[in-house]
Amino acid sequence: MTALPEVGTRRFRMPAASLGAHAGTRLSVAILVALGILTLVALFARLLAPYDPVQPIGALNLAPGAEGHPLGTDSIGRDILSRTLIGVQVSWFSSLIIVASGLVIGGLIGVAAGVFGGWVDAALMRFTDLFLALPGTLVAIAIVAALGYNLQNTLIGIAVVWWPYYARIIRGEVKSFAARPHVEAARVAGASRTRIVFRHIVPGVVPTAIVTASLDIGNVVLLLAGLSFLGLGQPAPAPELGADTARNLSQLLSEWWVPVIPGLAVLVLSLLSNLGGDAVRTLLAKRR
Amino acid sequence: MFRFILRRTGSAVVLLLVLSAIIFVLQAVSPGDPVKAYLGANASPEAIAAKREELGLNAPLYAQYLRFIANLLHGDLGQSFRTHRPVLTDLQSFLPATLELVLFSFVVAVLLGVLFAVSGSLRLKGGALFRGPLLLLAAAPPFLLALGGIVLFYAQLGVLPASGRGVDSSSPTGFVVLDSIITGQPDAIGLTFQHLLLPGVVLAIAPAIAIGRILRSSLDVTMSADYVRTAESKGLTPFAVLRRHVVRNSIGPGLSMAGLQLGFMFAGVVVVEQIFSWPGIGNYLAGSIPVSDFPAIAGVTLVLGTVYIVTNAVVDILQVAADPRLAA
Amino acid sequence: MTDVATVRDLEVSLVRDGVRSDVLRGIDLSVRSGEILGMVGESGSGKSVLALAMMGLLPTSAQPRVGGTVGIGDTDMVNGRPDELRAVRRNELGVIFQDPMTSLNPTMRVGAQIDESTHDSAESLRLMTAVGIADAALRFTVYPHELSGGLRQRIMAAIAVAGRPSLIIADEPTTALDVTVQAQVLDLLRELRDEFGCSVVLITHDLAVAAQIADRVAVMYAGRIAELGPTEEIIHRPTHPYTVGLLRSRLSLDTPRDRRLLTLRPETASAAERLKGCAYHSRCPLAVEQCGVEQPPLAPAAEGTAEVSSTEHVRACWRSVSDVQGYTHDTLDAPPIAAAPSSGASDATQPAVLITGLTTVFTLKGGGRRRRQVHALRGIDLSVAAGEAVSIVGESGSGKSTLLRVIAGLAPATTGRVQLAGRGAQMVFQDAGSSLTPWLTVGDILRERLRPLKLDRAATARRIGDSLEAIGLPETVSTLRPAQLSGGQRQRVALTRATIIPPSVLLCDEPTSALDASLAASVLNLIRELRSSLDMTVLFVTHDLAVARLMGDRVVVMTQGTIVESGEADAVIRHPEHEYTRSLLASVPEIGVLS
Repeated sequence: MTALPEVGTRRFRMPAASLGAHAGTRLSVAILVALGILTLVALFARLLAPYDPVQPIGALNLAPGAEGHPLGTDSIGRDILSRTLIGVQVSWFSSLIIVASGLVIGGLIGVAAGVFGGWVDAALMRFTDLFLALPGTLVAIAIVAALGYNLQNTLIGIAVVWWPYYARIIRGEVKSFAARPHVEAARVAGASRTRIVFRHIVPGVVPTAIVTASLDIGNVVLLLAGLSFLGLGQPAPAPELGADTARNLSQLLSEWWVPVIPGLAVLVLSLLSNLGGDAVRTLLAKRR
Repeated sequence: MFRFILRRTGSAVVLLLVLSAIIFVLQAVSPGDPVKAYLGANASPEAIAAKREELGLNAPLYAQYLRFIANLLHGDLGQSFRTHRPVLTDLQSFLPATLELVLFSFVVAVLLGVLFAVSGSLRLKGGALFRGPLLLLAAAPPFLLALGGIVLFYAQLGVLPASGRGVDSSSPTGFVVLDSIITGQPDAIGLTFQHLLLPGVVLAIAPAIAIGRILRSSLDVTMSADYVRTAESKGLTPFAVLRRHVVRNSIGPGLSMAGLQLGFMFAGVVVVEQIFSWPGIGNYLAGSIPVSDFPAIAGVTLVLGTVYIVTNAVVDILQVAADPRLAA
Repeated sequence: MTDVATVRDLEVSLVRDGVRSDVLRGIDLSVRSGEILGMVGESGSGKSVLALAMMGLLPTSAQPRVGGTVGIGDTDMVNGRPDELRAVRRNELGVIFQDPMTSLNPTMRVGAQIDESTHDSAESLRLMTAVGIADAALRFTVYPHELSGGLRQRIMAAIAVAGRPSLIIADEPTTALDVTVQAQVLDLLRELRDEFGCSVVLITHDLAVAAQIADRVAVMYAGRIAELGPTEEIIHRPTHPYTVGLLRSRLSLDTPRDRRLLTLRPETASAAERLKGCAYHSRCPLAVEQCGVEQPPLAPAAEGTAEVSSTEHVRACWRSVSDVQGYTHDTLDAPPIAAAPSSGASDATQPAVLITGLTTVFTLKGGGRRRRQVHALRGIDLSVAAGEAVSIVGESGSGKSTLLRVIAGLAPATTGRVQLAGRGAQMVFQDAGSSLTPWLTVGDILRERLRPLKLDRAATARRIGDSLEAIGLPETVSTLRPAQLSGGQRQRVALTRATIIPPSVLLCDEPTSALDASLAASVLNLIRELRSSLDMTVLFVTHDLAVARLMGDRVVVMTQGTIVESGEADAVIRHPEHEYTRSLLASVPEIGVLS
């Protein structure tokens, strides 16, 4: 065929295929590999950290690039790299735990509501909507403040307000799959109720649940960092990204790296998990 | 419509009761002793016993809850451990500053969000140069944005202030911008606006992206709708197609997301106020956390939670007013 | 007479799912002043893309590349400036799309939507009356969802004729509508042409619909015009093998009931092979070597043959007209189908299906506390003898599908009862693709049905293999997922699932309505064969009277939840007794017996 001109008769475009259909796959895989490396780093943070994160071991307030302290030291001479590595470990696994808890609790409630329908559905969803309509962050703060400040209570506080979102989404998906013709066809073909739920409905919900969860990790990273910044985390000497920024705020205009580096670590975590969520969505969409 | 307002108001009241119940339960399990907040740590056992009786702490739990609710309705939120003043008094002096910051920031968020959506959906030239950095900033924790803003605009460029509101908060209404206008002080308006700018924008970034994304996708869906093709087949100009057929049908999801985000901002304001020493209740909360001042924390949670719940109810009602089909 | 639109060598390629393909491959066409031109083709033939290209509205998201020209007035719709194109759309073109519900803005009053084209409410009202809307003033201020499907399409028509266009493009304007409404819309198109003197391009997948009102018909295949000529000629003296095949596989009220339905050969060639030579060559029973190598040009069909009376008749085929028409006559006799077990013989036995006093009421949740009750079935009595085939005909909302669902146990009976013979009922659904669980393999799906038999692995595998083979599928499909199958294969898998353990009753819910004509015919053949080989009772629901007559010994007509007529199939078709049956019959587009 001869070379054809592009026509531009329409000013607006329909939704673009996300990112770009071809570049998407390779980029997505690369992002997921990076996330895998991050998880390994977090897992072996204790081994990778060059120093004890809570012991003063060097000169005070060394700038990044100093010998033996690539990210410098803080005001009492602790190694910032070591503290950041441990902080990343805490932050990353805490976020995964929260998301997993949301997936499990929300998943159970959502599947139960969607499958049983009727008054079970009505009751469970009333309960879910109630939690969804409450100001989650504030309630989480109040819970941690009442239970006492430590990491475990922070996780409890967030987990309590985090599941309703998952319950809503999963219940909706279950309902929509349950209404599809293939479920009716399975009923007519004589499949039992349990079989229909676990073979003809739940496998269809899994991809959406995974995408929802992976897109959510970044939110949890930011929320945890925010609460930690306010002091709702581990007590003082323990390294934590948000808290390390808050405790060293006064140095911002003199030794900026001391408060800023932990914050940058949060940025990297949240950015990577956002990209990872998009990557998971792209790859799953391709598979279908 | 009237039914819907009634129903939505009813559910907001239920939510407020649930919120108060949660706070009540948490108060009961919290380690702090409200009696000591009134009397100090060195009070005599007799005085403590008398105060316990006075506060109704010896009554059964349900009676205590009823009393708690009654107290709330009278505006009694207890006594702060830290300031030794009634929590309500503290909140009254700090709330206007917070409202001013959040509302300003909300306007910024909506403007940025609309710009984000429209530049993306209409493929405006250079739009990506605006959207890319905004997406990056939205992935950063707000405290990092705040620090970056201070280093750049205060320390390096020296164009914006880094803390406070610039004016004494004890002005007639507590809303300094409003006051400046009432009292006719144009300099004060400029000054307060300068102080609002940095915290306002930092607080606006994340909501702007949330609003922008949802608006973008609903714009995209609407623009590929059959009826838009019909409109184009009538030979209408692109602008007329947008104005008459696209805007109204795509604004709904953006509106409800904006309402949701306005609610979220009342929680996000805590960190921002602390860093910028903004004299609002977020800062008050941030100061109460390290000293475990539970009555103050509970009070802030109740007040900001109420604002959140009421905001969402109002947004829902406004939406139904705009599109009666939603009332079902 | 001048032409209102001239399409010259139009080529369009679009990107779909990341793959660019040539959708239109050299279209030459003129639309004459005041004529109705029917564009007929199967799904994927490019007919709708042609409509969009003529309006200059190809979706940018599909990154269209366009060659050739579309001249409307003095403007080239391919290369013209955007404001020129808008002026043409405003002044010269009117459009009617397939689905009037989605094609009208849901939040704008219909009057205002017409006003956008007329800029004058009085004129809009006049047009609404002109397109047959009673009480135009009342309807002016309602929203689209408050109107019926037929009225909505009339609103679209009013928008289309506003501005007195010289050409109206109607893209499948009747497909989303019920049969009786379809006929009204076709009449309306003809009236618009007569009254406003405009030309109409009518795009449809159904030759009979085009034949009803078109002056000329163009048959499209794979992005090219296969044959173009006066309607009479195309219908009665087709000169292209594809047209012949389309006409022969089309079901009509006269199709012989005791013979296999004729079908086109299924497509076997890859897309690349089809692009060489004539796109139809891999399915064409008359193909010679040249057909697979060289693309035939569109040339006059009148090569001195007496049968072709008009020089306007053009075709793209290497074989001679007489070869093609000779073939037509050769294949008139189709093989007979196996005789169905006679229903009379089983009179003594229990009926396979016995329905007495059946009513079904659905409660829909409205806004707030309001609940709306819908009486889907209002007292149905029906007895179906063992081995009998009964067709249930009705329009959307008649309750015909609900009846089937109640029998299958998928919907509740409010009162009354349904009794089924021993081996129960199985069902085949309208959309076979979505009735198969997407993440399970064909083998998984079939094994599930065999579970109650508690066979061992080898026996199960053998049984599945045998059943698939019996239905004309290779055993290897059992490892595939539904998405990897073609539409026809999916419907066969669904049939296998229903019959791998033969049920007493096979329930069919419009199993062919989503398929192209030829594919539908092959599925209907299959159901009829299964019925006789497995000795099943069949209940067949359809909106199509021709299909109903073919599939049922008896035809039952339903409307508004009740049975209004029931009788031997040909008797109901030839001598309808009920008013409603007569109106249904009058609306069926027919093209008459082939000469």
